[in-house]
Amino acid sequence: MCTLSKCFVAICFASLLLTGCKDKEGEKTVNEPVTNDTATPDTAHQPHTVTEDNNLYADVDISPMDMSYFPAKYPQMKIADPRVAPPVMRVIYSRPHLQGRKLFEEILKYGETWRLGANEATELDIFQPVTIGDKKLPAGRYTLYAIPKAGYWTIAVNSSLDQWGLKQDPSHDIVRVQVPVTYYNPVMEYFTMVFEKTGTGANLIMAWDDAVAKLPIKI
Amino acid sequence: MKKWLLFWVLTFLSASFLNAQHWTPVDKSPLDQIYYPADYPSLKVKGTKERLRMRIIYSRPNKNNRPIFGSEIVPYGKVWRLGANEATELNLFTDAKIGGKKVPAGRYTLYALVNEKSWTFIVNKETDTWGAFTYDPAKDVCRVTTDVKELNKPIEALTIDLEKSANGVNLVAGWDTVSATLPISF
Repeated sequence: MCTLSKCFVAICFASLLLTGCKDKEGEKTVNEPVTNDTATPDTAHQPHTVTEDNNLYADVDISPMDMSYFPAKYPQMKIADPRVAPPVMRVIYSRPHLQGRKLFEEILKYGETWRLGANEATELDIFQPVTIGDKKLPAGRYTLYAIPKAGYWTIAVNSSLDQWGLKQDPSHDIVRVQVPVTYYNPVMEYFTMVFEKTGTGANLIMAWDDAVAKLPIKI
Repeated sequence: MKKWLLFWVLTFLSASFLNAQHWTPVDKSPLDQIYYPADYPSLKVKGTKERLRMRIIYSRPNKNNRPIFGSEIVPYGKVWRLGANEATELNLFTDAKIGGKKVPAGRYTLYALVNEKSWTFIVNKETDTWGAFTYDPAKDVCRVTTDVKELNKPIEALTIDLEKSANGVNLVAGWDTVSATLPISF
Protein backbone atom coordinates (compact mmCIF):
# COMPACT_ATOMS: atom_id res chain seq x y z
CA MET A 1 0.00 0.00 0.00
CA CYS A 2 2.76 2.34 1.03
CA THR A 3 4.76 1.72 -2.15
CA LEU A 4 1.61 2.23 -4.24
CA SER A 5 1.01 5.59 -2.60
CA LYS A 6 4.64 6.53 -3.15
CA CYS A 7 4.28 5.57 -6.77
CA PHE A 8 1.15 7.70 -7.10
CA VAL A 9 2.84 10.65 -5.43
CA ALA A 10 5.76 10.26 -7.82
CA ILE A 11 3.42 10.25 -10.83
CA CYS A 12 1.61 13.32 -9.52
CA PHE A 13 4.91 15.09 -9.00
CA ALA A 14 6.13 14.18 -12.47
CA SER A 15 2.88 15.46 -14.01
CA LEU A 16 3.28 18.71 -12.10
CA LEU A 17 6.78 19.11 -13.46
CA LEU A 18 5.53 18.39 -16.95
CA THR A 19 2.68 20.90 -16.74
CA GLY A 20 5.19 23.37 -15.32
CA CYS A 21 7.38 22.87 -18.39
CA LYS A 22 4.41 23.43 -20.67
CA ASP A 23 3.81 26.76 -18.98
CA LYS A 24 7.34 27.90 -19.60
CA GLU A 25 7.20 26.99 -23.25
CA GLY A 26 3.84 28.77 -23.46
CA GLU A 27 5.42 31.97 -22.20
CA LYS A 28 7.87 31.95 -25.04
CA THR A 29 5.31 31.17 -27.71
CA VAL A 30 4.59 34.19 -29.86
CA ASN A 31 0.95 35.31 -29.71
CA GLU A 32 0.23 33.32 -26.57
CA PRO A 33 -1.94 35.44 -24.28
CA VAL A 34 -0.48 36.33 -20.91
CA THR A 35 -2.44 34.64 -18.16
CA ASN A 36 -2.92 35.90 -14.65
CA ASP A 37 -1.84 32.73 -12.94
CA THR A 38 1.78 33.23 -13.94
CA ALA A 39 1.86 36.96 -13.24
CA THR A 40 3.50 38.16 -10.06
CA PRO A 41 2.44 41.45 -8.45
CA ASP A 42 5.64 43.09 -9.73
CA THR A 43 5.04 42.30 -13.38
CA ALA A 44 1.25 42.31 -13.45
CA HIS A 45 0.94 45.97 -14.42
CA GLN A 46 3.83 46.16 -16.84
CA PRO A 47 3.30 46.07 -20.59
CA HIS A 48 3.66 42.51 -21.78
CA THR A 49 5.41 41.49 -24.97
CA VAL A 50 2.95 39.01 -26.36
CA THR A 51 3.19 39.54 -30.09
CA GLU A 52 6.04 41.97 -29.95
CA ASP A 53 9.02 40.29 -28.41
CA ASN A 54 11.08 40.84 -31.56
CA ASN A 55 9.58 44.11 -32.75
CA LEU A 56 12.04 47.00 -32.42
CA TYR A 57 10.10 49.50 -34.49
CA ALA A 58 6.41 49.73 -33.75
CA ASP A 59 5.01 48.48 -30.47
CA VAL A 60 1.56 47.03 -30.50
CA ASP A 61 -0.57 48.93 -28.01
CA ILE A 62 -1.06 47.23 -24.64
CA SER A 63 -4.81 47.66 -25.24
CA PRO A 64 -5.12 46.77 -28.90
CA MET A 65 -7.93 48.13 -31.00
CA ASP A 66 -10.68 45.93 -32.35
CA MET A 67 -13.98 46.25 -34.16
CA SER A 68 -17.26 44.36 -34.06
CA TYR A 69 -19.97 44.53 -36.71
CA PHE A 70 -23.69 43.86 -36.71
CA PRO A 71 -24.53 41.51 -38.30
CA ALA A 72 -21.64 39.80 -36.49
CA LYS A 73 -18.57 39.15 -38.67
CA TYR A 74 -20.18 41.08 -41.52
CA PRO A 75 -17.00 41.41 -43.65
CA GLN A 76 -16.59 37.61 -43.62
CA MET A 77 -20.29 37.15 -44.47
CA LYS A 78 -19.68 39.21 -47.56
CA ILE A 79 -17.19 36.66 -48.90
CA ALA A 80 -19.92 34.02 -48.92
CA ASP A 81 -22.44 36.41 -50.49
CA PRO A 82 -21.07 39.62 -52.04
CA ARG A 83 -24.65 40.91 -52.52
CA VAL A 84 -25.46 40.71 -48.79
CA ALA A 85 -27.37 43.78 -47.48
CA PRO A 86 -25.16 46.56 -46.05
CA PRO A 87 -24.15 46.28 -42.38
CA VAL A 88 -26.29 47.98 -39.71
CA MET A 89 -23.57 49.19 -37.38
CA ARG A 90 -20.17 48.57 -35.86
CA VAL A 91 -18.23 49.50 -32.80
CA ILE A 92 -14.52 50.44 -32.82
CA TYR A 93 -12.83 50.23 -29.43
CA SER A 94 -9.57 49.42 -27.70
CA ARG A 95 -9.41 46.36 -25.48
CA PRO A 96 -7.81 46.84 -22.06
CA HIS A 97 -7.13 43.71 -20.03
CA LEU A 98 -7.28 42.83 -16.35
CA GLN A 99 -3.67 41.71 -15.86
CA GLY A 100 -4.38 40.45 -12.37
CA ARG A 101 -6.45 43.43 -11.33
CA LYS A 102 -10.08 43.39 -10.15
CA LEU A 103 -12.40 45.33 -12.45
CA PHE A 104 -14.15 47.06 -9.53
CA GLU A 105 -12.61 49.03 -7.82
CA GLU A 106 -9.06 48.58 -9.11
CA ILE A 107 -9.78 49.65 -12.70
CA LEU A 108 -13.25 51.20 -12.69
CA LYS A 109 -15.02 53.06 -9.92
CA TYR A 110 -18.77 53.00 -9.45
CA GLY A 111 -20.35 56.27 -10.55
CA GLU A 112 -17.34 57.43 -12.58
CA THR A 113 -17.33 57.91 -16.33
CA TRP A 114 -15.58 55.20 -18.36
CA ARG A 115 -14.75 55.34 -22.07
CA LEU A 116 -15.89 51.74 -22.60
CA GLY A 117 -12.43 50.79 -23.78
CA ALA A 118 -9.02 52.44 -23.77
CA ASN A 119 -7.18 55.21 -25.60
CA GLU A 120 -9.54 57.03 -28.00
CA ALA A 121 -13.24 57.31 -27.14
CA THR A 122 -15.15 54.22 -28.27
CA GLU A 123 -16.85 54.80 -31.61
CA LEU A 124 -20.27 53.57 -32.72
CA ASP A 125 -20.77 53.76 -36.49
CA ILE A 126 -24.40 53.49 -37.53
CA PHE A 127 -24.99 52.71 -41.22
CA GLN A 128 -28.80 52.43 -41.07
CA PRO A 129 -31.09 54.33 -38.68
CA VAL A 130 -31.51 52.58 -35.30
CA THR A 131 -33.26 53.41 -32.03
CA ILE A 132 -31.44 53.50 -28.69
CA GLY A 133 -33.59 54.20 -25.64
CA ASP A 134 -36.38 56.36 -27.05
CA LYS A 135 -34.12 58.16 -29.50
CA LYS A 136 -34.01 57.48 -33.22
CA LEU A 137 -30.43 57.85 -34.41
CA PRO A 138 -29.74 58.59 -38.08
CA ALA A 139 -26.81 56.94 -39.86
CA GLY A 140 -23.57 58.51 -38.73
CA ARG A 141 -20.63 58.29 -36.37
CA TYR A 142 -21.13 58.53 -32.61
CA THR A 143 -19.10 57.87 -29.47
CA LEU A 144 -20.13 55.76 -26.49
CA TYR A 145 -19.24 55.90 -22.84
CA ALA A 146 -20.53 54.35 -19.64
CA ILE A 147 -21.12 55.27 -16.02
CA PRO A 148 -21.10 51.89 -14.26
CA LYS A 149 -22.88 51.43 -10.95
CA ALA A 150 -23.27 48.25 -8.92
CA GLY A 151 -26.77 47.42 -10.16
CA TYR A 152 -26.89 49.09 -13.56
CA TRP A 153 -24.73 50.89 -16.11
CA THR A 154 -25.67 54.18 -17.75
CA ILE A 155 -24.66 54.12 -21.41
CA ALA A 156 -24.36 57.49 -23.14
CA VAL A 157 -24.38 58.06 -26.90
CA ASN A 158 -22.43 61.23 -27.61
CA SER A 159 -21.84 63.33 -30.71
CA SER A 160 -18.25 64.40 -29.99
CA LEU A 161 -15.96 62.36 -32.27
CA ASP A 162 -12.29 61.54 -32.82
CA GLN A 163 -11.07 62.42 -29.39
CA TRP A 164 -9.19 60.84 -26.57
CA GLY A 165 -11.56 59.01 -24.25
CA LEU A 166 -10.84 60.69 -20.93
CA LYS A 167 -12.81 63.90 -21.43
CA GLN A 168 -16.44 63.28 -22.20
CA ASP A 169 -18.71 66.29 -22.54
CA PRO A 170 -22.23 65.36 -21.36
CA SER A 171 -23.61 68.46 -23.11
CA HIS A 172 -23.03 66.52 -26.36
CA ASP A 173 -24.98 63.49 -25.14
CA ILE A 174 -27.68 62.45 -27.59
CA VAL A 175 -29.29 59.81 -25.41
CA ARG A 176 -28.58 58.04 -22.13
CA VAL A 177 -29.90 54.58 -21.31
CA GLN A 178 -29.76 52.63 -18.06
CA VAL A 179 -29.07 48.95 -18.63
CA PRO A 180 -28.89 46.12 -16.10
CA VAL A 181 -25.58 44.44 -15.33
CA THR A 182 -25.04 40.83 -14.26
CA TYR A 183 -22.09 39.30 -12.41
CA TYR A 184 -20.60 35.82 -11.97
CA ASN A 185 -20.43 35.35 -15.74
CA PRO A 186 -17.38 33.61 -17.26
CA VAL A 187 -14.40 35.89 -16.64
CA MET A 188 -13.19 37.88 -19.66
CA GLU A 189 -9.52 38.87 -19.42
CA TYR A 190 -9.94 41.40 -22.27
CA PHE A 191 -12.78 43.90 -22.40
CA THR A 192 -15.07 42.56 -25.10
CA MET A 193 -17.88 44.15 -27.12
CA VAL A 194 -19.99 42.19 -29.60
CA PHE A 195 -23.47 42.46 -31.03
CA GLU A 196 -26.02 39.69 -30.56
CA LYS A 197 -29.22 39.41 -32.56
CA THR A 198 -32.49 39.91 -30.65
CA GLY A 199 -36.18 39.84 -31.57
CA THR A 200 -36.26 43.61 -32.06
CA GLY A 201 -32.74 44.24 -33.35
CA ALA A 202 -29.52 43.69 -31.47
CA ASN A 203 -27.90 43.91 -28.06
CA LEU A 204 -24.48 45.44 -27.71
CA ILE A 205 -22.85 43.10 -25.19
CA MET A 206 -20.21 44.70 -22.98
CA ALA A 207 -18.28 42.07 -21.03
CA TRP A 208 -15.25 42.41 -18.78
CA ASP A 209 -14.12 40.40 -15.77
CA ASP A 210 -17.33 38.64 -14.68
CA ALA A 211 -19.63 41.61 -15.45
CA VAL A 212 -21.89 41.70 -18.49
CA ALA A 213 -24.10 44.63 -19.51
CA LYS A 214 -26.30 44.66 -22.61
CA LEU A 215 -27.46 47.74 -24.49
CA PRO A 216 -30.65 47.00 -26.49
CA ILE A 217 -30.73 48.59 -29.96
CA LYS A 218 -33.89 48.55 -32.08
CA ILE A 219 -33.47 48.20 -35.81
CA MET B 1 0.66 9.22 4.20
CA LYS B 2 -3.01 9.62 3.31
CA LYS B 3 -2.83 13.32 4.09
CA TRP B 4 0.13 13.67 1.75
CA LEU B 5 -1.68 11.75 -0.95
CA LEU B 6 -4.68 14.07 -0.64
CA PHE B 7 -2.35 17.08 -0.76
CA TRP B 8 -0.69 15.95 -3.97
CA VAL B 9 -3.98 15.00 -5.62
CA LEU B 10 -5.42 18.42 -4.79
CA THR B 11 -2.26 20.21 -5.97
CA PHE B 12 -2.30 18.22 -9.19
CA LEU B 13 -6.00 18.92 -9.80
CA SER B 14 -5.71 22.65 -9.12
CA ALA B 15 -2.63 22.86 -11.35
CA SER B 16 -4.47 21.24 -14.24
CA PHE B 17 -7.45 23.51 -13.58
CA LEU B 18 -5.26 26.62 -13.81
CA ASN B 19 -3.65 25.36 -16.96
CA ALA B 20 -7.07 24.77 -18.49
CA GLN B 21 -8.02 28.42 -18.00
CA HIS B 22 -8.45 30.14 -21.34
CA TRP B 23 -8.49 33.89 -21.97
CA THR B 24 -9.72 35.55 -25.12
CA PRO B 25 -6.51 36.04 -27.08
CA VAL B 26 -5.48 39.28 -28.73
CA ASP B 27 -5.69 39.07 -32.49
CA LYS B 28 -2.35 38.10 -34.06
CA SER B 29 -2.67 41.21 -36.22
CA PRO B 30 -4.25 43.81 -33.97
CA LEU B 31 -6.35 46.61 -35.38
CA ASP B 32 -4.95 50.14 -35.28
CA GLN B 33 -5.96 53.57 -36.46
CA ILE B 34 -3.93 56.54 -37.57
CA TYR B 35 -5.23 60.05 -37.99
CA TYR B 36 -4.10 63.08 -39.94
CA PRO B 37 -3.28 65.42 -38.28
CA ALA B 38 -1.26 62.84 -36.30
CA ASP B 39 -2.65 62.07 -32.81
CA TYR B 40 -5.72 64.15 -33.60
CA PRO B 41 -7.79 62.68 -30.70
CA SER B 42 -5.19 63.94 -28.19
CA LEU B 43 -4.87 67.29 -29.99
CA LYS B 44 -8.65 67.70 -29.92
CA VAL B 45 -8.77 67.28 -26.15
CA LYS B 46 -6.12 70.04 -25.95
CA GLY B 47 -8.31 72.28 -28.13
CA THR B 48 -6.54 72.12 -31.50
CA LYS B 49 -7.78 74.36 -34.30
CA GLU B 50 -6.35 72.05 -36.96
CA ARG B 51 -8.86 70.48 -39.30
CA LEU B 52 -9.35 66.73 -39.17
CA ARG B 53 -8.52 65.39 -42.64
CA MET B 54 -8.34 61.63 -42.68
CA ARG B 55 -7.98 58.37 -40.83
CA ILE B 56 -6.72 54.89 -41.73
CA ILE B 57 -8.12 51.83 -39.92
CA TYR B 58 -6.03 48.72 -40.53
CA SER B 59 -4.85 45.50 -38.94
CA ARG B 60 -1.12 45.09 -38.42
CA PRO B 61 0.34 41.71 -39.30
CA ASN B 62 3.86 40.88 -38.08
CA LYS B 63 6.77 39.68 -40.16
CA ASN B 64 7.52 36.88 -37.66
CA ASN B 65 10.72 35.92 -39.48
CA ARG B 66 8.81 35.15 -42.67
CA PRO B 67 9.56 36.44 -46.16
CA ILE B 68 6.68 38.84 -46.96
CA PHE B 69 6.66 40.36 -50.43
CA GLY B 70 6.73 37.95 -53.32
CA SER B 71 5.95 35.07 -50.92
CA GLU B 72 2.56 33.46 -50.36
CA ILE B 73 1.83 36.14 -47.72
CA VAL B 74 1.81 39.01 -50.22
CA PRO B 75 2.30 37.54 -53.71
CA TYR B 76 3.43 39.84 -56.52
CA GLY B 77 0.79 40.88 -59.03
CA LYS B 78 -2.20 40.22 -56.78
CA VAL B 79 -4.48 42.69 -55.04
CA TRP B 80 -3.72 42.73 -51.30
CA ARG B 81 -5.83 44.09 -48.42
CA LEU B 82 -2.86 46.24 -47.28
CA GLY B 83 -3.19 44.76 -43.82
CA ALA B 84 -4.82 41.73 -42.21
CA ASN B 85 -8.39 40.59 -41.53
CA GLU B 86 -10.74 43.28 -42.88
CA ALA B 87 -9.40 45.24 -45.84
CA THR B 88 -7.80 48.54 -44.88
CA GLU B 89 -10.23 51.44 -44.55
CA LEU B 90 -9.62 55.01 -45.63
CA ASN B 91 -11.83 57.69 -44.04
CA LEU B 92 -11.67 61.07 -45.75
CA PHE B 93 -13.27 63.77 -43.61
CA THR B 94 -12.72 66.43 -46.29
CA ASP B 95 -12.58 66.14 -50.09
CA ALA B 96 -9.14 65.12 -51.30
CA LYS B 97 -7.17 64.64 -54.50
CA ILE B 98 -5.54 61.26 -55.05
CA GLY B 99 -3.60 60.55 -58.23
CA GLY B 100 -4.99 63.70 -59.86
CA LYS B 101 -8.56 62.59 -59.16
CA LYS B 102 -10.97 64.38 -56.86
CA VAL B 103 -12.18 62.00 -54.15
CA PRO B 104 -15.12 63.27 -52.08
CA ALA B 105 -15.17 62.91 -48.28
CA GLY B 106 -16.36 59.43 -47.29
CA ARG B 107 -15.40 55.87 -46.41
CA TYR B 108 -13.28 53.88 -48.86
CA THR B 109 -11.30 50.66 -48.94
CA LEU B 110 -7.61 50.86 -49.69
CA TYR B 111 -5.93 47.95 -51.45
CA ALA B 112 -2.42 47.57 -52.87
CA LEU B 113 -1.28 45.61 -55.87
CA VAL B 114 2.29 44.80 -54.99
CA ASN B 115 5.11 44.14 -57.45
CA GLU B 116 8.85 43.88 -56.93
CA LYS B 117 9.66 47.42 -58.09
CA SER B 118 6.31 49.19 -57.82
CA TRP B 119 3.06 49.24 -55.84
CA THR B 120 -0.32 50.28 -57.15
CA PHE B 121 -2.54 51.77 -54.45
CA ILE B 122 -6.23 51.20 -55.17
CA VAL B 123 -9.01 53.31 -53.63
CA ASN B 124 -12.26 51.37 -53.89
CA LYS B 125 -15.88 52.24 -53.05
CA GLU B 126 -16.89 48.85 -51.61
CA THR B 127 -16.45 49.09 -47.82
CA ASP B 128 -16.64 46.59 -44.92
CA THR B 129 -14.84 43.82 -46.77
CA TRP B 130 -12.66 40.97 -45.60
CA GLY B 131 -9.32 40.46 -47.32
CA ALA B 132 -9.44 41.10 -51.05
CA PHE B 133 -11.82 38.20 -51.65
CA THR B 134 -14.65 40.41 -52.87
CA TYR B 135 -12.49 43.03 -54.61
CA ASP B 136 -14.31 44.41 -57.64
CA PRO B 137 -12.28 46.64 -60.03
CA ALA B 138 -15.56 48.15 -61.31
CA LYS B 139 -15.82 49.91 -57.92
CA ASP B 140 -12.34 51.50 -58.12
CA VAL B 141 -12.28 55.24 -57.45
CA CYS B 142 -8.66 55.62 -58.51
CA ARG B 143 -5.38 53.76 -58.88
CA VAL B 144 -1.94 55.25 -58.26
CA THR B 145 1.30 53.43 -59.11
CA THR B 146 4.44 54.38 -57.19
CA ASP B 147 8.01 53.14 -56.92
CA VAL B 148 9.07 50.92 -54.05
CA LYS B 149 11.73 52.16 -51.64
CA GLU B 150 14.17 49.67 -50.08
CA LEU B 151 14.71 50.05 -46.35
CA ASN B 152 17.94 49.43 -44.44
CA LYS B 153 16.19 47.91 -41.44
CA PRO B 154 13.16 45.66 -41.72
CA ILE B 155 9.87 46.79 -40.13
CA GLU B 156 8.35 44.02 -37.99
CA ALA B 157 4.68 45.08 -38.00
CA LEU B 158 3.04 46.55 -41.09
CA THR B 159 3.04 50.30 -40.49
CA ILE B 160 1.04 53.01 -42.24
CA ASP B 161 2.06 56.57 -41.47
CA LEU B 162 0.47 59.81 -42.59
CA GLU B 163 3.20 62.42 -43.09
CA LYS B 164 2.78 66.11 -43.83
CA SER B 165 3.75 67.08 -47.37
CA ALA B 166 3.91 70.42 -49.21
CA ASN B 167 0.28 70.24 -50.38
CA GLY B 168 -1.25 67.55 -48.18
CA VAL B 169 -0.26 64.19 -46.84
CA ASN B 170 1.99 61.33 -47.84
CA LEU B 171 0.55 57.96 -46.91
CA VAL B 172 3.63 55.81 -46.33
CA ALA B 173 3.13 52.05 -46.02
CA GLY B 174 6.13 50.06 -44.81
CA TRP B 175 6.64 46.41 -43.99
CA ASP B 176 9.64 44.12 -44.02
CA THR B 177 12.31 45.89 -46.11
CA VAL B 178 10.16 48.01 -48.42
CA SER B 179 7.95 51.07 -48.28
CA ALA B 180 5.72 52.81 -50.79
CA THR B 181 4.18 56.28 -50.71
CA LEU B 182 0.76 57.47 -51.83
CA PRO B 183 0.55 61.28 -52.13
CA ILE B 184 -2.78 62.86 -51.15
CA SER B 185 -3.54 66.55 -51.49
CA PHE B 186 -6.35 68.72 -50.16
